[in-house]
Amino acid sequence: MGPKIMDSTQSIVEMRSVRKTFGSTRALQGVDFTVKRGEVHALVGRNGAGKSTLVSTLSGLTPADAGTITIADTTIEANGKNYAASIRDVIAHVQQTPQLFNLLTVAENLFLESPSVRGRFGVVSSRAMLQRTNELLGKWNMEIRPNSLAGELGAGARQLLEIMKALKRGVPVMILDEPTAALSNAERRLLFEQVKTLKAAGVSFVYISHHLDEIFEVADTVTIMRDGRVVKTHEPVDALDVETIADLMMGEKTVRSVRVDYMDNAASVLLEAKGIRIDQFSDEDIDFHVRAGEIVALAGPVGGGKEALAMILAGQQKPARGTISSPGSSSPRIGLVPTDRHASGYVGILGVRENVAIGGLDILSGPLGLIKTAKEQVHVGGLTRQTNVIASSLEQAVSQLSGGNQQKVVFARALCRDPQVLVALSPTRGVDVGAKEQLYALLRDLASKGLGVVVVSDEEDEIEQLANRVVIVLGGQIRDELVGKYTMNDLVLRMEGVI
Amino acid sequence: MSNLSNSLKASKRSIEQSRLSTLGRAFVAGGYTMYPVLLILGIIGAIVAPRFATTVNFINILEQVSVLGLTTIGLTFVVLIGRLDLSLEGIVGFAPMLAAVTLVPAAAGGIGIELPAWTGLFVALGTAGLIGFFNGFMVVRVGLNPFISTLGLLVLLRGGVLIISNGRSIYSPGKALTYLGSEKLLGLPVSVLLFVLIAVVVGLLFKHHRYGRALYAIGGNEEAARAAGINVDRAIWSAFVIAALLAGLAGVFLTGRLDSAVTTQGQGIIFSAFAAAVIGGVSLGGGRGTIVGVVSGVLLIGIINNLLTLAQVPSFYVQASTGAVIVIAAVLTTLASNRSSGVRTRT
Ligand SMILES: Nc1ncnc2c1ncn2[C@@H]1O[C@H](COP(=O)(O)OP(=O)(O)OP(=O)(O)O)[C@@H](O)[C@H]1O
Ligand SMILES: [Mg+2]
Repeated sequence: MGPKIMDSTQSIVEMRSVRKTFGSTRALQGVDFTVKRGEVHALVGRNGAGKSTLVSTLSGLTPADAGTITIADTTIEANGKNYAASIRDVIAHVQQTPQLFNLLTVAENLFLESPSVRGRFGVVSSRAMLQRTNELLGKWNMEIRPNSLAGELGAGARQLLEIMKALKRGVPVMILDEPTAALSNAERRLLFEQVKTLKAAGVSFVYISHHLDEIFEVADTVTIMRDGRVVKTHEPVDALDVETIADLMMGEKTVRSVRVDYMDNAASVLLEAKGIRIDQFSDEDIDFHVRAGEIVALAGPVGGGKEALAMILAGQQKPARGTISSPGSSSPRIGLVPTDRHASGYVGILGVRENVAIGGLDILSGPLGLIKTAKEQVHVGGLTRQTNVIASSLEQAVSQLSGGNQQKVVFARALCRDPQVLVALSPTRGVDVGAKEQLYALLRDLASKGLGVVVVSDEEDEIEQLANRVVIVLGGQIRDELVGKYTMNDLVLRMEGVI
Repeated sequence: MSNLSNSLKASKRSIEQSRLSTLGRAFVAGGYTMYPVLLILGIIGAIVAPRFATTVNFINILEQVSVLGLTTIGLTFVVLIGRLDLSLEGIVGFAPMLAAVTLVPAAAGGIGIELPAWTGLFVALGTAGLIGFFNGFMVVRVGLNPFISTLGLLVLLRGGVLIISNGRSIYSPGKALTYLGSEKLLGLPVSVLLFVLIAVVVGLLFKHHRYGRALYAIGGNEEAARAAGINVDRAIWSAFVIAALLAGLAGVFLTGRLDSAVTTQGQGIIFSAFAAAVIGGVSLGGGRGTIVGVVSGVLLIGIINNLLTLAQVPSFYVQASTGAVIVIAAVLTTLASNRSSGVRTRT
């Protein structure tokens, strides 16, 4: 009897035999999941394992079909009916897909729904709102203006805002679904500090991430999911290491690959940027080129201009000055993986096939512009296999895919037109370790066949595993370059702007 | 043992259910939702009005709906990309009127240019195309909200019709303008043949042409379409031009059928066009809709009108009942598409 009482005072979340089915997809097949008071509980698993679905049934965002869910003092017997209202005050959920209102200000996004800024008759006091926003931003050390529109902020700031909005509600259980996917290193440290403070105050976290090293930084325990089931539950982090977690997640051994150099200084230049000024504030020209067969990384701090430069190279943004040209006769076909898959990556209401195909409508259609259906089927099928997209069929709407699989669809789309240059911004954001390696191998393979690749990334590992050349972009200029053999240490110091 | 067979049965049932739901989804997504309703309506019609189920009447219905049909197909181009075009109604009236006043002598109400007779169709369609080009320019280059820019244009065109015609209708504007809307080919009205042909071509375009794919992508997520390398501005611009051309052709049909360019020509048609589109499952938020569905919406409105007329419902009631039917039909399609996709349509 004793331990049972102990148990129930200690655990704040108890999920028993939770099931959830979407059409023919059995996303959760009887999952048990427990979270103790004041712990940070990491939930990991490959793309499509059911992590987001599990936490959505926990917060009531997606009602479970069956099972028992207990949070604090509330117990729910799930039967597919909505129960979110009954647990609203004990749990907050930061979703994988952004939920901010882009046309509202930072302050409005944070406080509009909060009763604390409402006066008599429910009138919102904008002074109270601004004051509280300033306090909150100060607490987080964030330097953004409370009345700038959420849509104008960078992806990282938006993500932090979303987290702040949830954390400030003061609930005992917090779900963070891949909170760091869009964060830079500095922003990530801000988040971890807050998590640690709240944890000390007794708040429990469910923490989902594909950055396995983070787990050892913030989490106390780990649960591993695979194919809608739990394969390892409530393991203390100390008993695990990154490799073990990766292998359990994937159900097979994953090997960390190393970069291969196909760079050839005699290879033809595919794309050349001359005298580029990113905006009217830049005061130094950028000269840059991509050769066939090389993988170049653009790195540097957030706001330093690496993303803008990549979008200029891809022809999606106009530079303030300068030209992009290709010394070859015709301009090269460019494939683009944009940085924010929710904003400009996929078309949610269309299926996987249509999403991938719009990347290569020109090569999939005949002289009259009619799509060759058979060719489309084969080409798209091949690409989704190469990029490891897991979907119930090629017709499944992309909005229904798991986050990582959406990202892979965007990747496949960029490759669909058989590009000569691939510009990829954070190409593996939200992708699991195994699929990541598969994408890296694919990029190396394509590079060996003459593709020129420009990768923009905030992850040292990704750059170190891929790039034969690293260009550091800072303050709208190229500050430094690493070519050929460089060490992780060289890279990290330059990325942080130390050297 | 029985447990096992029970669970086997259950899984079989769930497979069958999911197969059924896949079929149901394809049915709704393909735009077939309204066809059973049309069938039932047809049966009721045949029972209550003996003259309903005759070839002559069917051809009559088709001829009646060809004007609305072309306008709605045109509207679908812009709605698919998440825009709208209210000026189509203005074009239905203005384009043929401008052609008419340039053809007929001043004595018959013309403006005195008396262009050669054969130019009629070209002037009408050219005018429509230019108006569409202007709409595209306003939306793509100037960045106006299409609701306000095309609303302004609609009012402008209505006034324009009165100015160029001096407020008088023009009778018998000439064969080149009236041929399409009045003649028969192989026993069928040319307008019906053209409507069917255009519906088929646009249907194939939406489904199998890269342009159609681009329209759906833009309507679903414009930024994603841009990042995928689609020339979004060109697609939006051309959608406005095509919509205007189809509305212009609809206007020509109407002028042909009446053998005159009437000053009130086309008034109110944009409402019916929106209704037909939504009944046919086109999402006003963009990205969803098929020509199969659009045709069903157009037919529904046409059949209702026809039935009410045949049943000698007083004309005051015809309009109100059409409105009521539109609401009911829209509820039906929206329910069907919500249930089948689990996603709320932004209609
Ligand atoms: N609304 C939906 N309709 C149909 N299937 C869905 C829906 N939501 C999720 N699924 C399916 O459920 C499965 C689990 O998805 P979930 O989002 O939970 O994965 P995940 O573990 O969070 O993956 P990721 O790491 O990629 O985010 C996937 O196969 C997904 O396609
Ligand atoms: Mg997820």
